[in-house]
Amino acid sequence: MAFVSPNITAFAVEATEYPDLARKYHVSGVPKTVVAGNNAEIEILGALPEDPFIDQALSILSPAASEPEAEPKR
Amino acid sequence: MSLIAPADQEKLREAFNEMTSPVRLLFFTQTLGCETCLETRQILDELPPLSDKISIEEVNLILDGDKAKHGVERVPAIAVVAVVGVDESKQVRDSRIRFLGIAGRLRVHLAHPGGAARRRPSAGTDRSEPRRASPPWTRR
Repeated sequence: MAFVSPNITAFAVEATEYPDLARKYHVSGVPKTVVAGNNAEIEILGALPEDPFIDQALSILSPAASEPEAEPKR
Repeated sequence: MSLIAPADQEKLREAFNEMTSPVRLLFFTQTLGCETCLETRQILDELPPLSDKISIEEVNLILDGDKAKHGVERVPAIAVVAVVGVDESKQVRDSRIRFLGIAGRLRVHLAHPGGAARRRPSAGTDRSEPRRASPPWTRR
């Protein structure tokens, strides 16, 4: 994705070497991908096949991704 | 003693043969306060002998300016940039791929830039037109 878009930069992080980043992004296992942008973050757990991975990553572009979660009805 | 096993060296040498453009690895380091920088540099230094298309450039995160940082704020880190064109038209193209931490996984990425391609396609997915982009250093 970074190859094809100048708007994307990919960081591969050695989680054991950067525990602060692991804590920040709630990493309990690897691989874990965090897509950040558009005022939102999306977490992708595990090694997904390519198509679902891309679909999940691109879902950050949907308006709902940046909307705060609605409070549950009482 | 080599940090990359002889068998891995051979795999890397074969994989690097696929590269059509030179690749420069920017190695971000600092003199003090980096426990794994030395080992990372040792691993990186073992790559150029495997291919004449790979070069290493060291960037000191403290001493070199912000412009040299490529958005990197931690060490050790590696940025992969492709060198495309020849002579006067030679340009450096940033892959926008960064590795934070020791370089163990870098060799995997360089050797298998389309790593995801080896996964089985999901059911019902049309694979007739692959949409994966090849990295700039393997384009012909």
